[in-house]
Amino acid sequence: MGKFCVNVTNSKSDPDKATVGFVVANAAVASDQETMVFLSTEGVRLGQKGYADDIHEEGFSPLRELMANFVKAGGKIWVCSPCFKRRKLDENKLVDGATIVGGAKLVEFLSGGSPCVTY
Amino acid sequence: MTGGAQVPGAAPPEGWDAGDMGCGELLIELRMRLLPLAPGTVFELVALDPGARSDLPAWCRLTGHALVQAEHPVYWIRRRNH
Repeated sequence: MGKFCVNVTNSKSDPDKATVGFVVANAAVASDQETMVFLSTEGVRLGQKGYADDIHEEGFSPLRELMANFVKAGGKIWVCSPCFKRRKLDENKLVDGATIVGGAKLVEFLSGGSPCVTY
Repeated sequence: MTGGAQVPGAAPPEGWDAGDMGCGELLIELRMRLLPLAPGTVFELVALDPGARSDLPAWCRLTGHALVQAEHPVYWIRRRNH
């Protein structure tokens, strides 16, 4: 199984990018890739329960649904620790499948040869 | 059933009309519908999205399912054996 990383750096700052990031992540996990979405900078807000509930871009499924399907299919969501902390978000309100990680985890995942696409 | 072209002796027992759905949304839903089926089952998919023409052959190469027939927008996919 190959690895695949999707780095999502947006939330309501650019709902189109946030949505397409998860659409691509769903394509990867559905294609039997070990897939990880790395939420960083403004993207970390998506890691909070309820935040994505009102993001629904025309032509796509609601973001909450895209994220739930991703996790249900075995996808992992990693949330950048310093990005999360500086926004004073609540680690007790993480969405299902999300884990707060530091840079070493990202480096370890990518250094195994994983491609990464950023939105 | 969606009424695609017939393969002799292999009438598909399952099918799904995905409408305009495409890209990752189509693939993850297709995966959820295909994996519970018995190995070797032929599944008829109707996918109107223009990206399906190139995406479905690529998806089958990645996952090991067999694309038995492709006549856009009708695709017959045989579920892999594992």
